[in-house]
Amino acid sequence: MKRRGIFLALSILVFALIFVTGAGAAEEKIAKIAVYGPMTGEHAEYGLGFRYATELQVEKWNKQGGAGGYKLEVVVFDDKNNGEEAATIAERVVEDLDVVGIIGSYVSGVSMAATPTFQEAGLVNISASASHPDFTSAGDYIFRNNTVISVEGASTVRGVDKVLGAKKIGLLSIMTDWGRATAAIMTKLIEDNPNLTLVIHEECTDGSDDYSTPIANFKAAGVDAVIIVGMHNTFVPFARQYRQQDPKIGLAAFANLYDDQVLKLGGEYVENTVFPVAYFNESDEPNIVEFRDAFHARAGKNPSSLSAQAYDAAGMICEAIEKTKSNDRAKIRDYVANINYDGVGGEIKFDSRGEAQKVFMVLQIKDGKFVKVD
Amino acid sequence: MFFQYVFNGIAVGMAYALVAVGYSLVFGILRLINFSHGAVYAFGAHVVLLFIGLRYPIWIGILVSIFLTGILGVLIDKFALAPLRKKKSLPIASLITTIGVSYIIQNLLMIFFGSERKSFPNFFDMGGLNLANVPVTSSQLFLFVISLLLLLVLTLIVKKTRIGLAMQAVEQNTKAAHLMGINVNFVITFTFFLGGASAAIAGALMAGYYQLVYPTMGFLVGLKAFAAAILGGIGILYGSVVGGLVVGLSESLASGYIGGTYRDAAAFVILIIILIIKPTGLFGKKGISKV
Repeated sequence: MKRRGIFLALSILVFALIFVTGAGAAEEKIAKIAVYGPMTGEHAEYGLGFRYATELQVEKWNKQGGAGGYKLEVVVFDDKNNGEEAATIAERVVEDLDVVGIIGSYVSGVSMAATPTFQEAGLVNISASASHPDFTSAGDYIFRNNTVISVEGASTVRGVDKVLGAKKIGLLSIMTDWGRATAAIMTKLIEDNPNLTLVIHEECTDGSDDYSTPIANFKAAGVDAVIIVGMHNTFVPFARQYRQQDPKIGLAAFANLYDDQVLKLGGEYVENTVFPVAYFNESDEPNIVEFRDAFHARAGKNPSSLSAQAYDAAGMICEAIEKTKSNDRAKIRDYVANINYDGVGGEIKFDSRGEAQKVFMVLQIKDGKFVKVD
Repeated sequence: MFFQYVFNGIAVGMAYALVAVGYSLVFGILRLINFSHGAVYAFGAHVVLLFIGLRYPIWIGILVSIFLTGILGVLIDKFALAPLRKKKSLPIASLITTIGVSYIIQNLLMIFFGSERKSFPNFFDMGGLNLANVPVTSSQLFLFVISLLLLLVLTLIVKKTRIGLAMQAVEQNTKAAHLMGINVNFVITFTFFLGGASAAIAGALMAGYYQLVYPTMGFLVGLKAFAAAILGGIGILYGSVVGGLVVGLSESLASGYIGGTYRDAAAFVILIIILIIKPTGLFGKKGISKV
């Protein structure tokens, strides 16, 4: 009698298990969107911005019941801003067949250590920040929702010319792969502008604290404005040190300055700086307002333009899953390649090389705020 | 231009000297290169930042930081290094421990303060000056003068006080000092306190000079100060000062005349050259083998 009781209990248990797991498998189809970037270390704010943006986009889709019959998930990887880490992450990501697309990384050089793996495995990679000219040449699975630096740089030069009215230009560039390539492009852009003369070009190490020597050289060369080819960890200390010696020097840089951190760190020393952006928070468009407020609630600050581009990148992958109703990587890539996406950064289309075509506006820092001037 | 570079170099060089002294003090007593010193320096700057954030006047922040950072130095010794000494482990174990400690401090700072660069008030800026047509900022002058004063104070402590005398005794012969009734453990504790305190002052000065604070700020400065200490002859206080000035000047001149990207390399190139010519450093004495 006792034994039969145990047998009965066991069989009920087995049936229950089969039933429960079977039912679960039937309703849960999962598609994962990966995001990688520096989540720790010096550039963590950018990586975390990408992460929050991706999460917000995915949460938005999941609230509407997922995309194309799939429940969406975000998987986050920390590459510590290191190419070797990025390459390892790439190997891991492509092996997880639920992953349909990956967003990241932050720095071009790091990203380009991973793109060959994505291309080989056929996984869509959309970068929200890479601006190295060769980024998308890894292949047809690699997209960039950021402009190549030549378009962005042209807007920087326009700002220096029209807004600052400077004539003699100094160029400061960080000695990285990106810094070198960008400095070459900027040199050409400045020389092509009849109103401007490039009088001096200085190089510095990325993330240096001491700019006394380049500043001394710029002052000796008598420049009106300096274009800083670097991230804001170079821009802010340089601006502070320069403005302390010469409060009138004109300063210009790139879209990565569009971050509240710059205002907080730079204070009065970054006033009047001009730089181009493709995304601007101060807008009445409902999708921008929704994103900005949601991001602010999550991160405690307004999204940078790079975070906004990550948000759109994730949106494009979500839309691709929705429209193709599949998690097939090749189909996702074909959809993204021909997408006409209406994002927070405007209309996004990719050209044959996988480059998003963007229109830039020029922002200026006035009274501790970002103001659109051109 | 030349004088401009020179002055930039001297100002920063004095601050390097202040950090280098910390290496020298500990090395003199324990024959140990304390690689956690750079992280201790960053810790000092962060404590000041914390107190500024709490709306205390900066001098209170600096005083508290000197004290707390000194204590941190002592704690590092008590928890990480003293147990190794007690077990008579190899010197290399202590050296690697200090590297580990530096990572622990750095990452704790990242957890509590965040990894990004935070702005720090330039508490000694009174505008620019013109000394014989060389534009010099008052921050540079201040950095130079304060560092010089502090180095003098440190030298006086080591040369003229009882505890300084005890430090010298321990430095020359630990066992004999012990037999003469000197409390060697207290001397070691005091040395770590002094090292930490000087790092805190240097941290606050450099943070104010560059107006930046971030957890990894001590890494490169630590390496350069280490180079300065070796250059001048480690264990010799005035050697650290000369070493700091050489490092500061060489990087300023290198970035001025060769290119900004050679800035960080210059200090180490000079270090290698001097070590080839004079392995004990500029003022270093031949090591006395202890029996």
